[in-house]
Amino acid sequence: FANYTRCENTVEFINSVHDLLHDRRGQTHYIIIDQAERLRDRGPMLLTMLLRLSELTDTNICTVLVSNVVWDKFRPRHGGAIEPALVFFSNYTKQQILSIIEKDCPKDEPPKFFLTFVDAIYEVFHRNCVDLDELRHLVTMLYPKFVQPVYEKQANRSEFTRLFKLCQPYFSAASERLYLREISTSEWQKYSAEVTTETAPEDVTQSIYQMAESGDGLDLPYYTKFLLIAAFLASYNPSRLDAQYFSRGKTQAKRRSKAVAQDATGGKDRQQLLGPKSFNIERMLAIFYSIIVEPVDSSVDVQIQIASLVTLRLLTKTSAGDRLDGIKCKCNVSLETIRAIAHSVRFEIDRYLYNFA
Amino acid sequence: MPARQAVSQVDVQHVKQMVLGRLYGRVALPELVGLDDPFSAVYTLLKQTVSSNEGNSALVLGPRGSGKSAIIDRCLDLLKRQHGATSSAKYYVVRLNGFVHTNDRLALRDIARQLLITQDLEHILIGSFADAFTYILNLLRSNFEESGAVPPVVFVLEEFDLLAQHPKQSLLYTLFDIAQSHQTPIAVIGLTARIDVMDLLEKRVKSRFSHRQIYVRSVQTLEQFKRIAQIALQINTDHNVSAEYASEFNQKVDQLLASDSVVSYMEHLFDFGKDVRQLLQTLASSISQLSVASPFPQLAPLTACMEREMQSAKLQILANISVLELCLIIAMKSLVQLGSTKYNFEMVYDEYKTFMSRHMMAVAAGGAMKIYKKPVALKAFETLIELEIVRPLSSVEGGAAFGRNDLLAGTAAGNRVPKEYRMVQLMLEPGQVMELAADRPDIPAVIRRWAQQ
Repeated sequence: FANYTRCENTVEFINSVHDLLHDRRGQTHYIIIDQAERLRDRGPMLLTMLLRLSELTDTNICTVLVSNVVWDKFRPRHGGAIEPALVFFSNYTKQQILSIIEKDCPKDEPPKFFLTFVDAIYEVFHRNCVDLDELRHLVTMLYPKFVQPVYEKQANRSEFTRLFKLCQPYFSAASERLYLREISTSEWQKYSAEVTTETAPEDVTQSIYQMAESGDGLDLPYYTKFLLIAAFLASYNPSRLDAQYFSRGKTQAKRRSKAVAQDATGGKDRQQLLGPKSFNIERMLAIFYSIIVEPVDSSVDVQIQIASLVTLRLLTKTSAGDRLDGIKCKCNVSLETIRAIAHSVRFEIDRYLYNFA
Repeated sequence: MPARQAVSQVDVQHVKQMVLGRLYGRVALPELVGLDDPFSAVYTLLKQTVSSNEGNSALVLGPRGSGKSAIIDRCLDLLKRQHGATSSAKYYVVRLNGFVHTNDRLALRDIARQLLITQDLEHILIGSFADAFTYILNLLRSNFEESGAVPPVVFVLEEFDLLAQHPKQSLLYTLFDIAQSHQTPIAVIGLTARIDVMDLLEKRVKSRFSHRQIYVRSVQTLEQFKRIAQIALQINTDHNVSAEYASEFNQKVDQLLASDSVVSYMEHLFDFGKDVRQLLQTLASSISQLSVASPFPQLAPLTACMEREMQSAKLQILANISVLELCLIIAMKSLVQLGSTKYNFEMVYDEYKTFMSRHMMAVAAGGAMKIYKKPVALKAFETLIELEIVRPLSSVEGGAAFGRNDLLAGTAAGNRVPKEYRMVQLMLEPGQVMELAADRPDIPAVIRRWAQQ
């Protein structure tokens, strides 16, 4: 490939195309643009001009736009664009997917056996994943594990049920970790390669656990964890109920659980679903001191921890950047993570959560 | 019946190329239907400039696809044939287009290029537009002949309304000024689809314009509409194609255009928007299948193409999404029906979970449908966002500004909400969701019933 010329604006482009292709009327030339919907942001005239290219340059040139967004959404608004002919590509059918993945069969494996495996994978995964690339990836990752017992003489090629049962834990680990790319392909290969049937059962479960582990790796100091829990409670509990949940006086004994009125939307207005609210730092600190069992010595440390939580983006600051008092934040951590953290410090968070399903 | 002679490869290729060229707008149609009045008006005007050295200006107004550019092309063609013979009647044609020439400087440079002026003009382009233009005309005069007679120049300004939006409208002012003052014989023809384009002109520009407006109407009657299709498809005998092939081809074309489905399609298009381009493009689906084996246009590809056009684009794209994605769409539909105008992923997932657990018994019996965990559902949700079936509810509903990336990535400064909590909107109507679920044979019955509620 070589540059023909440089164009700074549309006029030069049109003239250059004309000069370049004018003599070659007999052939058709094509311009193919992928992810064409992004052109709609690049100036209103660009798409219009590209669609009229043949007319403007007086040459035999065809513009092909490839996109996975429907044409209605990026048709230029001011009119003047010529409607392109629309060609739809529908998804592959199951049969087509199977015959494509069949070509991935490793050289020394019998094709029929491989095909049965692919069929089973498809049945398991196709309800949430119809993307051909993803399925191919899953097949490539899972097949070695599936066929391993055959090589280790644990089962025959014809005992499909047995092979599937042996492979079952890897299937579920795959559907969660691998599909979501929580672990990378190379990590998966590393973990799964280490395990053979020779290894002890505990090691097998260990390896699967490692693959299926959903821990966030949040390794925070002890008090910081409580700070984070306090932030979560401040974000999701309404402030009017703070006295009920967090006061240490006599009211701690009787904690009235109010019946929550169900509204028409079937409880969809819960704070849990709407996301974290902002709260005052003072309120969070008040909750923090109330849930900590033993007293804390220095309050400076606490401020430093809050700052580091903000840096880690576990808390988000919602007040203006340069305000020094009345700082508001909100908690950026999900319920599952907080539960894991609370579990690690042996704090029963469920008792303190209001209206959580 | 005598055996038909086999049609030669060359003939088929030739016909295909010619007809497709007409259908796709690369080649002009042999005659213009119903455009005689505007045609003669424009032609007279151009002739006056070219033969009698009069300056003239006019605006040709008409909806898109009504034939304005076709009229101009035909006029220029006719003019060339009648005047181009002798060199003493030479004239220039300069074509500008509002889509391409986005400011006056670029337009001026291109004018110079089209007038075959090769001198370097950078130094003059810095000055005012009028000075620069006069300089160019002077150059033209000196390039042309020593006697000093200036050749007429025809300026064709397409997308005139966009040219009128340049700052100070200096290009238009200069052109109209020279056209009116008769110093140099130029014809200025503006083409535009905006009927109110006169309101866009400044007072000084408007006063120099001759107020000559030629209206081109879109196709008047259904017969004219059909006639255009016929003209586009038929082969003339003066092309080097065998006469028998040509006449049989034309017969087949008439049969095709008389068949019921095509007639009703043309009526539908005519009622809808009289879009000639769309009609010709659809007809191309039959012509592109021409081959030596089947050298005549068939009805079948045409019917398939017409059917495809009738389907909704969105539903076609969504025809094969995964079951989980369909469940999420149905969950959003139920939220809308319960009265929420905005919802986020968490609420959608909650609704999905509620439904699935409520129907656990039926689900377990019917087919192994498990409740997918939140991260998997989130991935499916993001696929829907990528298809733009689900759109973020931003406070500024700009046309070009926001895109799917705003929802997925979130700009650092503004967006503090984690992505599961960002409010979205489903871009399908409840009726469309029901249609989507009804077409799928592979989803469990319980899901289908959920969609129909």
